Amino acid sequence: MLSQYIISQVVNGLCQGFIYALIALGFAVIVGIVGLATFTHGEIIMIGAYASYYIFLACGHNLILGLLASFSASWIVGIIIYKLCYERFLEAPEHISLICTIGFSMLLKNLAQIVFGAEKKPMLNVIENQIYKFGPVEISKVQFVIMGTVIVLSTTMMIIFNKTKWGIALRSVSQNREAAALVGINVKQTSMIGNCIGCAMAGVAGMLIGIYYQSISPTMGATLSMKAFSAATLGGLTSVPLSSLGGVVLGLIENLGISISTASFRDVFSFGFLIIMLIFKPTGFVKRKGARP
Amino acid sequence: MMDKLKGFYVKNKIPVWVVLMVLLVTMPLYVSAGNMRIVCRIMLYIILAGGLNVISGYCGQLCFGIAGFYCVGSYVQAILMKTYNVSYWLALLPSGIVAALIGAVVALPALRMKGIFLGMITIGFSELMRLIALNWTPVTGGAMGFKGIMAPTFFGIKMGGASKYYYIFLFVVIAYMFCTNRVIKSRVGRAWMSIREDELAARSLGVDAKKYKILNFMYGSFWAGIAGAIFVAYSTYVDSTYFTLDEGFNVLGMLIIGGQGTLVGPIVGSFVAQVLTESLRFINVWRYVVYAALIILMMWVRPQGLIGASGSILAGSKAGKKKTKKAEKIVKSEGKEA
Repeated sequence: MLSQYIISQVVNGLCQGFIYALIALGFAVIVGIVGLATFTHGEIIMIGAYASYYIFLACGHNLILGLLASFSASWIVGIIIYKLCYERFLEAPEHISLICTIGFSMLLKNLAQIVFGAEKKPMLNVIENQIYKFGPVEISKVQFVIMGTVIVLSTTMMIIFNKTKWGIALRSVSQNREAAALVGINVKQTSMIGNCIGCAMAGVAGMLIGIYYQSISPTMGATLSMKAFSAATLGGLTSVPLSSLGGVVLGLIENLGISISTASFRDVFSFGFLIIMLIFKPTGFVKRKGARP
Repeated sequence: MMDKLKGFYVKNKIPVWVVLMVLLVTMPLYVSAGNMRIVCRIMLYIILAGGLNVISGYCGQLCFGIAGFYCVGSYVQAILMKTYNVSYWLALLPSGIVAALIGAVVALPALRMKGIFLGMITIGFSELMRLIALNWTPVTGGAMGFKGIMAPTFFGIKMGGASKYYYIFLFVVIAYMFCTNRVIKSRVGRAWMSIREDELAARSLGVDAKKYKILNFMYGSFWAGIAGAIFVAYSTYVDSTYFTLDEGFNVLGMLIIGGQGTLVGPIVGSFVAQVLTESLRFINVWRYVVYAALIILMMWVRPQGLIGASGSILAGSKAGKKKTKKAEKIVKSEGKEA
């Protein structure tokens, strides 16, 4: 019976970890690859969740449509963030754009409370409740869909960043802006699209979280962005695959942690993980010269 | 305009101070009780934003977790007063000191980090403090918090209510201003500012960056702890909902609007923010949107705040680009005059 409980906690942790991995991937793209500092990540998760919610309301239970809606909504917000918080301050000290994103996150959160209503909303039941059994392991259909979506999206991102010409251009921008501009890369446009991709990943993750927890609220993003950061520290904020791994590890730590204590300590475990990581290994496990401090 | 005001102040230093002090001390006589509550809130946020100003304004260390120190200070005060029956006045200093010690602990990992890393670790710390306050029920009272914390008596006068408690706020604000003014003008303050402008250069000139950063965090969090301690007896109850991340961002917003790296900055910031949110009550929830938009606008127009340290790194002059432009302008205008 106990082993059954542990196995189900591991499955839950994996599923949650996959969502965290998607958020952390977006975060690592924005902070590590494009080289911008952001505090709006949590609010973009919320925007993505609400976009898919309203599409589900309007167009019925179509998962693909919801995914597209959250993707495009958070993409648009990404453009706004770039224009408002980054474009002017590319040459300025980092803290200015950082404070700008804090202001924007406050703006989005309060605006969402006015537009969508401050109370929690129940997410529509998009995927019917069905449980598959593999020996002792039980996985629900929701968890299957979530894991599948995350795996497909993250492999696509990996291919884009490592194999395509555009991905290489993006990484060159993060390494040296001026040199990238000298070889004919449109620096501003490239970093804007990079920022938008990171935001879009967060938006899709928001939809998945809404489906998984069955409820969405304007303040849902605050702790999630923190968890994305905790996960991304495993890769020193620069490595995309390690950040995703960090997300999975974080999900497992949380769910195994609350199985030995109570559920109210969930966030304590993730923050503890973050602080231990930052104290002992602030550069993460990447072996690259010039990783961020 | 600013220069004229400054000139006037320099010429009539003593009369200006006397008039100001008389106005401040007699404030409960000519301000209604309802407005005194706003004044008290302004005072509270002056101390909080002032503590943050020491950390992120003078030393340039991004700290978003001021609510964590605030939380520590108020809980220490509440626990000392309710559980151990310590008198209000005796509990004030320990709450500040405990907050300062925790500030030193936070500063240890912060020594190696900058920018978003430091911001995130302070946010994590702030949330951790709130979660501990929420979940450590035997000590902190859990979700119920502490109720019925009595206002202190001062020579037989009970200091309850906004118009009387105002004097405690006033005293602490003046103490903060006096101490910080002295510290900033000392070797310590100069070391902090040199770390803010260029840490590498400061270290090569013999500034012990580690020591001064820890000292900086301790000093800033001390005042945040004191603010928490006096807030507890003012509101008479405390629970963990006061110390959310939004509270920390709120204080940061005030500091940014007012101006980082100056003594007057937090005063102006907290005054503007409170008056704005009070006078915009008629648009209800939209005032928070206005407030957030103001922060972004401030970064676009005047990154150093209304009364900020211009010409420093806070004003965005990293590569000295703005300076050279200004210098060019001056040269041109001088040429025209000639």
